[in-house]
Amino acid sequence: MRKLRITVDHDLCMGAAQCVGLAPGVFQHDENRQSVVVDPAGASEELILKAASYCPTGAIEVVDTETGEQLFPSKR
Amino acid sequence: MASSPAVAAAGPEDLFAPEVIADPYAYFGRLRESDPIHWNPRAEMWIVTRYEDLVWLLRHHELFSSAVIRNDRRPPHPPIHPEDRTLFEQVRAFRSDQLVESDRPPHQAMRSAVHEYFTPQAMESWRPFVRRAVAELLDEVEPRGRMDVLEALAAPLPVRVITQMMGVPEEDREHLRHLADKLLYINRGEPDRMQYLMEGIRGMIEYVSPKVDERAQAPSDDFISVLAQAEKDGVFTRHQVLVNTALLLFAGHETTMNLICNGTLAFIRHPDQWERLRADPAGAVRLATEECLRYDPPVKSTQRIAAKDVERRGKTIRKGDRIRWIMAAANRDPRAFDDPDRFDVGRQPNPHVSFGAGIHYCLGASLARIEGQEVFSALAERFGSLRLEGEELVYQPSIQFRSLTSLPVAWD
Repeated sequence: MRKLRITVDHDLCMGAAQCVGLAPGVFQHDENRQSVVVDPAGASEELILKAASYCPTGAIEVVDTETGEQLFPSKR
Repeated sequence: MASSPAVAAAGPEDLFAPEVIADPYAYFGRLRESDPIHWNPRAEMWIVTRYEDLVWLLRHHELFSSAVIRNDRRPPHPPIHPEDRTLFEQVRAFRSDQLVESDRPPHQAMRSAVHEYFTPQAMESWRPFVRRAVAELLDEVEPRGRMDVLEALAAPLPVRVITQMMGVPEEDREHLRHLADKLLYINRGEPDRMQYLMEGIRGMIEYVSPKVDERAQAPSDDFISVLAQAEKDGVFTRHQVLVNTALLLFAGHETTMNLICNGTLAFIRHPDQWERLRADPAGAVRLATEECLRYDPPVKSTQRIAAKDVERRGKTIRKGDRIRWIMAAANRDPRAFDDPDRFDVGRQPNPHVSFGAGIHYCLGASLARIEGQEVFSALAERFGSLRLEGEELVYQPSIQFRSLTSLPVAWD
């Protein structure tokens, strides 16, 4: 499995918790109830991308660490 | 301004006072600065106004329950006709099954069942439909040189979009808009509001019941089919499917109307910001729409009910207390936004709370954004300048919605 760099933009994260619900091995809430990445390999890539797409504010970005390719949001 | 006449006139804390309805920013702004967690004895509810407190409250759903209608044992505020008490109980039974009135754990499964349909990416596929609808509506009025933004654009657009999403025929639009208008008596002040509400609820249930039966038999790609499937999966009861279909039909209606009217008004009152949008409609409209949402939000406030005793800022909120949180005040909190009373279409970041926060974050937010973006960019492309046509602006007497009753404008 390729290594992913997952970031959550806290200017955008509103704590809707969709990512935590879908992939709790990857995303958890901090003390402010905003999402933080606890383990970028804590779920399958498919589930991580689904969790990113479920974010209602588009706060999550997923990048392939080696190639630098942005996997979510996908570049058009 | 603490000593403005509007605030003084609000005197005995009437949240429905004409001054507070006309300008919620003065009254709730004063509370935000002087008593951010304020007990309103007349309404028997806490009023929470600071950004930091709203976000904290909304993200602690285990402390602040959304099941207000089910659990609130105080009489309705403002009072209703005593003979409408039975109607009130019927309204309560209906509203208790709404997704927005549910708590975890059931809320999580219910939200999951419908969330995928409304993700930002999924909603992008609706942009061409929205763009076409906006163009059709504006084509009709453009030659006239004037329009009531509400009647010509803001009211018909969301109905077109929602009915398409629900997979219901065009000829039903007027009927549904009529029903949606009645359902908007939620959180109004009129003592006879339960009668309108119940008429709207009965009409909605009658209308959607056969549609749900059809979709359960023969699923399609519309939203009613998503709910019908959730019933088969055991996530929703049939009553919950009916109630939430009705909820979706009207939840996106008034809110989108207000976004369009309030945003258009903000542009009219800030010609320099209108020029910034006009210079690059496609490029500037996303941030501009966020600023419209922040500056004069479609929903001024919403409710929670305390699930436990909670201490905050030296106040004790008791289990069972009602709490009204004022997005209109939090969005103007100087602790969270620079120069908060300035309408700045380039504002970034702009973490407004107009769609709430936490697990109940507005399901339709992405759709609302697309509708706002398509309307404001189309207006900017078509009209060099918009001006108000005479009449005084009047807002609906609602504590929840920031709703203009009309917005007549003209252009050259």
